Amino acid sequence: MSRLLFLLGSGLVLLIMIFSPWAVPMREFDGTGYLLNPLGPINPQGLALPEGLSFPWLGPLFGLWVLLIAAAGGVYFLPDPEARARGLYLLGALGLALFAAGALLFYQGVGAANEAALAAGARRPPLRRFALSLGLYAGLFYALALLLLARMQRPGGLAFLVRLRGVVVPVVALLLAVVVGGVVVAILRPGLGTEGDGGLREFIAGKLDLVTYTFQILFSPLLSLPGLFNSLAFATPLIFTGLAVAFGFRAGLFNIGAPGQLTLGALCAMLVGVYLPLPGFLLLPAAILAAALGGALWGGIVGWLKARFGANEVINTIMMNYIAASLLLFMLAANEYRFFGYTVRLPFKAEGFEGRSEEMQEGARIPLMIHILAPQNTFSWALPLAVVAGVLAYYGLRRLDLGRRLLLSGGAAGLGFVLGGWLPGFPVEISSALASQLLNGSFLIAVLALLFYNFYLFRTTGGYELRATGLAPRAAEYAGVNLKRKMVLAMLISGGLAGLAATHYVLGAGMDGTYRLKTALPASVGFDGIAVALMGQNTPLGIFLSATLFGVLLAGGVSLNAQLGISNQIIQVLQALIILFIAVGGLLPRYFTDPLRAAQVETEAKQARG
Amino acid sequence: MEIAIALFFSTLRQATPLLLTALGGLFSERSGVVNIALEGMILFGAAAAAITVNRLEVATGGQVAFWIPWVGLLAGALMGGLVGLIHAVAAIRYRADQIVTGTAINIAALGAPSIVLQVLYNNTSTSQEVVNRLPNVSLGPGSVSVLVIFAFLLVPLVWWVLFKTPWGLRLRAVGEHPEAAETMGVNVIRMRYTAVILSGVLAGIAGAYLSIGFLNQFIRAMSAGAGFIALAALIFGKWHPLGVLGATLLFGFAQALAIQLQGGDILPATLVQAIPFILTMLVLAGFIGRSRPPAAVGKPYDK
Repeated sequence: MSRLLFLLGSGLVLLIMIFSPWAVPMREFDGTGYLLNPLGPINPQGLALPEGLSFPWLGPLFGLWVLLIAAAGGVYFLPDPEARARGLYLLGALGLALFAAGALLFYQGVGAANEAALAAGARRPPLRRFALSLGLYAGLFYALALLLLARMQRPGGLAFLVRLRGVVVPVVALLLAVVVGGVVVAILRPGLGTEGDGGLREFIAGKLDLVTYTFQILFSPLLSLPGLFNSLAFATPLIFTGLAVAFGFRAGLFNIGAPGQLTLGALCAMLVGVYLPLPGFLLLPAAILAAALGGALWGGIVGWLKARFGANEVINTIMMNYIAASLLLFMLAANEYRFFGYTVRLPFKAEGFEGRSEEMQEGARIPLMIHILAPQNTFSWALPLAVVAGVLAYYGLRRLDLGRRLLLSGGAAGLGFVLGGWLPGFPVEISSALASQLLNGSFLIAVLALLFYNFYLFRTTGGYELRATGLAPRAAEYAGVNLKRKMVLAMLISGGLAGLAATHYVLGAGMDGTYRLKTALPASVGFDGIAVALMGQNTPLGIFLSATLFGVLLAGGVSLNAQLGISNQIIQVLQALIILFIAVGGLLPRYFTDPLRAAQVETEAKQARG
Repeated sequence: MEIAIALFFSTLRQATPLLLTALGGLFSERSGVVNIALEGMILFGAAAAAITVNRLEVATGGQVAFWIPWVGLLAGALMGGLVGLIHAVAAIRYRADQIVTGTAINIAALGAPSIVLQVLYNNTSTSQEVVNRLPNVSLGPGSVSVLVIFAFLLVPLVWWVLFKTPWGLRLRAVGEHPEAAETMGVNVIRMRYTAVILSGVLAGIAGAYLSIGFLNQFIRAMSAGAGFIALAALIFGKWHPLGVLGATLLFGFAQALAIQLQGGDILPATLVQAIPFILTMLVLAGFIGRSRPPAAVGKPYDK
């Protein structure tokens, strides 16, 4: 069975190598390109490469790959597992080397052509949009798979993989979702520039190029600083809602109410930020607190209903989402309402056609991240020093008890901030692309929320009891945990975390750069938190990484819409697919999802080793 | 009087998608599988029906033909069944958390139709309007879609199937105590697959009712919580067809009232729209009596 799968996989990789482009030295803005393929270039739009540019290494490299795949097929059938492992390790390393050589040769060729053109007097390099493509990536993945398979041949290989299941399942789910998403794109869209009646090879290459280019655009924000800032701006609210959902999961509650909690948080933050007459240094903390309290209220009601009446939190949180949406519309869509014939005037909607609030007071605004890092185009040491001092103190004072340790490291961070602000910075140049990104100080609040989550759940008695409640409610109750109180508390904190997402949208102007609450608040970000929590396996680091991944995809989705006209709803479908595939354990065997069976595998591995 | 009649017909129309969906959910939950994906199934069914009818109209040159809406209805039902199959495979074969997979389907239902709409109509939020709507039936002072009649006739049928046939007995047994049912020779897995797919088919029909029976186009997120309200009606109706009928009529009435009030100056519509949801929460809190779910609901079955 596993041999058959291996042969099938190898055959698939070979087919991809034959039919897909290996690299694209030149791409037009509409996506059509000059596709390099070992069997000859595919160039349906008749693009012309610069004089003398050729890629003679392509054919030989392909030959080497064919040999390598054939050899891997042979090695896999060796009877001795140790010999199999050694052979696969060797071939995997060779595969990595082949991939690196291909990438190097390609970039060198393109670079040389550009330099030659510039030397000949061209004003701009002729090749600006170039990239590796699926043929080479397939080789990379094949080499990595060989290395993994080699590890699997050694004793305890399976146990090794099962131990890593917290990473394996989300990664496999992501890969599966990418494959299915790619198939969807390939079915729905014509290949890039291959509408003509080219042969089957052109057709398949065009489709594969489209899919590869789609994912290259989706992940492109990772490659530039503005793109990264933009991704983190998309990720900030996802961190909050992901934490909210994960917090519920840890307590054994499924909180689908983050959209409503976010909305209420936004409403409360708006009320405080616009109307509360407080001095500046108090106003911002009050507004942030109001966001958390609004969300906590909306979550807490559901928790109370569950504790008091046993009402299912899943349905109730959904109902609260709709009620919150009504409330938001009621407050911001119009100024005048008729109640039983009487006219009531509401002051919340600002003048104008659009449903939006008045602007926040100056003191309630969270500045952009770039202004925190480099006010007036001068890099400031305040934030970096505060972080370094805080972390150093936290790890240096390990002998003190937790309370003093926290207090002192907090003090150290504050000292670092003051000292860093006093130190002279150095002038930096901020590109207009970077300055226009909406990443704001709410990101720092998100990082603090991550730290709080980690600290509360894993370092305090209350958090321990909460996790115990989620894992085994009966056992926790016998151990003296007040289940009902825990339930309400869990929903309060979960809702508060979701409510804090409003700091990004309302106080930080993360929606569109204006410091107002609008009826167009993207509350469905609360649902995306489910994907973030599941993908991050409810751990703080996991949530940060998966929120960032989705942030990158969302930022890339905007470019995808602009460049290829593919609706950025594809991101939503990808998220849904990732949730689905994680829920089914990545279609992996049961010992990856069932802790008992996982323990069994590890015990067997230990026994086999003797 | 006129207002009463209008309210009556409006209630029937509003209750129909809830009723169809809730009756479908009844099969699924009685077999032991939570189906929170009903909302997504409605949306997938609605999109499939509207797009199929539109494509057939384009293919036949925009004429009105009696068979076109029925093919659209079939497409909606099949699409619902397909989504039901996905939910069933995840929940039964892979023992996934049923609420999580259901949520995934609901999220997909917000994104997937938009992608198809953009390819077909270059518009991510609505499909083109169709002229081949499902036919209406005249009922004294008003008329309703033929699916309204179908939904209400379905209630006694479901009651009879559930409580008077051997199949219904087995279905209920599977949801209460699958191990015991298996011992008696019932194929638990096949029962659950059938029930979940059936719930998808009925939710798909509800979707077709929304897109080609109630309106004449598909609109993104047009179900507006109908799937969740149907789920609440199921709990309110104590997992019984007659209870479900009563609950959906109540919720349908609340929605009809919200529409009637929109023109008047009694209450703002934005607030009235929240009434069905507040009502659901009150019901769930047990102010109108407790209801007990099938004992095995939400638990994966291991042989």
